[in-house]
Amino acid sequence: MLEIRNLTKIYNDGTVALKNISFKVEDGEFLVIIGLSGSGKSTLLRCINRLIEPTEGEILWNGKDVAKADGRSLREVRRQIGMIFQHFNLVKRSSVMTNVLAGRLGYVKPSSSLLHHFPKSDRKKAFEALEMVGITDQAEKRADELSGGQQQRVGIARALMQDPLMILADEPVASLDPVLAHSILGYLEDINKNRNITIMCSLHYLDLVQQYSSRVIGLRDGNLVYEGSNAEIRKMTDGEFKEIYGEEAVRVNAGSLTGGDNA
Amino acid sequence: MRNTKIIKIPLIAAPFAAVLSAIVPGLGQLFSHRIKRGLLLFFSFISIIGLFLWRLTLLAHRELTYADKFVKSFSRQPMFVIFISAVLALLWLWIIYDAYHVAKGRKTKGIGIFTLVLLLFFSLGWQISEIDVYKMVKEFPDAWPPLSRILWPWEAAVTRDTSSVEAKAAILADDSVNPPPIPEYIEGKPYIKSTPTYGNMSTLDEKNEAVKGSVLHLEGSGFEPDTVTFIYWEDSIGNEFRPRQDGEYISLITDADGSFTFDLVMPYRLTPPSAVGQQIHHVHARQTSDVGPLKPSEPLLLTIELMLETIFMGMMATFFGIILAIPLSFLAARNLMSGSWITITIYYIIRTIFNITRSIEPMIWALIAVVWVGLGPFAGIIALTIHTIAALGKLYSEAIESIDPGPIEAIQATGANKLQTIMFAVVPQMIPPFVSFTIYRWDINVRMSTVIGMVGGGGIGFLLVQYIRLLDYKSAGIAVWFIAITVAILDYVSSKIREKFV
Ligand SMILES: Nc1ncnc2c1ncn2[C@@H]1O[C@H](COP(=O)(O)OP(=O)(O)O)[C@@H](O)[C@H]1O
Ligand SMILES: [Mg+2]
Repeated sequence: MLEIRNLTKIYNDGTVALKNISFKVEDGEFLVIIGLSGSGKSTLLRCINRLIEPTEGEILWNGKDVAKADGRSLREVRRQIGMIFQHFNLVKRSSVMTNVLAGRLGYVKPSSSLLHHFPKSDRKKAFEALEMVGITDQAEKRADELSGGQQQRVGIARALMQDPLMILADEPVASLDPVLAHSILGYLEDINKNRNITIMCSLHYLDLVQQYSSRVIGLRDGNLVYEGSNAEIRKMTDGEFKEIYGEEAVRVNAGSLTGGDNA
Repeated sequence: MRNTKIIKIPLIAAPFAAVLSAIVPGLGQLFSHRIKRGLLLFFSFISIIGLFLWRLTLLAHRELTYADKFVKSFSRQPMFVIFISAVLALLWLWIIYDAYHVAKGRKTKGIGIFTLVLLLFFSLGWQISEIDVYKMVKEFPDAWPPLSRILWPWEAAVTRDTSSVEAKAAILADDSVNPPPIPEYIEGKPYIKSTPTYGNMSTLDEKNEAVKGSVLHLEGSGFEPDTVTFIYWEDSIGNEFRPRQDGEYISLITDADGSFTFDLVMPYRLTPPSAVGQQIHHVHARQTSDVGPLKPSEPLLLTIELMLETIFMGMMATFFGIILAIPLSFLAARNLMSGSWITITIYYIIRTIFNITRSIEPMIWALIAVVWVGLGPFAGIIALTIHTIAALGKLYSEAIESIDPGPIEAIQATGANKLQTIMFAVVPQMIPPFVSFTIYRWDINVRMSTVIGMVGGGGIGFLLVQYIRLLDYKSAGIAVWFIAITVAILDYVSSKIREKFV
């Protein structure tokens, strides 16, 4: 279980990206974060595994404060939390296999991993992960030879290698077309339902939010402005939507409609 | 006010603008709000006048007044002086006309007037850089023999062993007291004797007229039959040279018994007579002949040796350059150094040093290094290393700056430690540009080391310059060919390797 308490992030240049945010994520949830670009979604997700240092507040991960963890204990938390990214963040020149195996770096002996040596069991695990996302035949290709959708599947496989309890996904489908978006979110849904891995995912398109989320939180200018269940988001009104998205709501909404033809 | 377009009215009437520009070219334009145009014309006109006067001064440096200088220069280079004067006058008139035109508020482009300015600069440049196409064409025949030897030097690449057969006889010069005896005759050995064994060297009298030396009657025997034989003269301090007779080097051919006779006029002395003692010179008769198989010549072997030295110089300089450039490049990468003002200061200092060092050519570094460690390849390596550090340091740091932070973030998120993150996310991104830049630099360094020897930095350039100074164009040609071949191979290999890594 993840509990965020009074989380505030102020960047060095004075930008207040998160203002005193508190919420809980129960195990097994598919929590979607919505909000305009610049509302603080990425900052929030990155504070949870400390890719970004929070300024104030607590991040309780199964009772332990991640904000205070350091060195070894931080790496231990990180390996329990997988992450996938909008731009996939694969090591482009390395093979798909190497990228997937990198998911084990928090587990293996550091000295041998430096020479790209991984135990047999990890290689087997990597194959299984690639199998799950259906790209075993691409294992030896260079990551940048794959299409966007395939790269994101490698990203998912890499996250799965961590045997994570939770996966953070920062706009995982924002660089993909709608069909691929459904495919990727389908994998996340599968992982969420069948492996009971908590998912925390930021999304842009309302119809995707409505289809995949079990619960939704909304950010606006770093404030938590909305919390609702799937049922509630399904009958969200324009007015409420404007609360979150501000005056540009109409445009974003229009965007969501184009993205939602096949919903 | 800001957005409304103001039509600027010329401050003065058109004829007045023309007069102003006649006195100070460009001034009229200034008063018509054509600031840039006016300044450009003014400075162009002034600098052309200045350059012209400078050249006139050089052409007629003895004359005192400019009028005299002008006349003298005109007599020396009439075309140049007439052309520049005429075009300058034309430009002046045009500027006046332009001032008038502009003051009337008419649209102007100025292509013509600035073409004229460029033409003047170009003509001055032609004269300043002493371009002489006529001489180039006329003297091409003089350039052809060395050029052809450089282009096809391969006869000089092989040689054969020579065996020489020789005999000598002592001659007392400019004296007749106690002449040396004739050499002892040994059966079966080549033999030469001179009658007499003394005489006067050829000299010049007070009126610089040639006075022929005494004639020595030479008789030789025991040489190879029917073979070309050269006569050499060795003076009293051991200098040996081939004397000429009637303008030609002396060579004769032995008869069927291996004997010859020849009347030799004693040659001019090359060294002044020393005051003390007898002046004993020697006359030599010498036959050389090629024996044995073809073998690589001295210049060929030397060229190969120095080519290897050159390649290794380039390699060592690259190697030292890499080792020193890598750590420095991290300090010169903006993304790594933007943390605090201290690191930013370091960043700027190192960047500045890189830029200054890079802008100084390796040849100049080599001149400094030669002063430092003396002539030889080490000086060349130092020079190239210094330049390499700066060049590679800049390229590397730019590669570091362009690293994609995404993968680093992703690897960190898996729970990897710092070292693992570097190995998995940073190194794979850095290897391709690093390899590519390094190979490229090695290529440049070898090219550079082929010329760095010209200023004493070792390698094949040193040899090449020596051959050219000795007018040994065939040997120089061998060196040139080796340089060209090596550079071409290197070019190919380096581009192939870089292709692989990009
Ligand atoms: N490294 C940074 N330094 C300063 N400000 C930042 C930085 N990263 C993000 N921000 C600012 O923080 C706010 C939240 O950004 P972000 O979390 O990326 O929003 P979102 O992911 O919702 O688009 C924005 O105003 C953004 O400009
Ligand atoms: Mg974002």
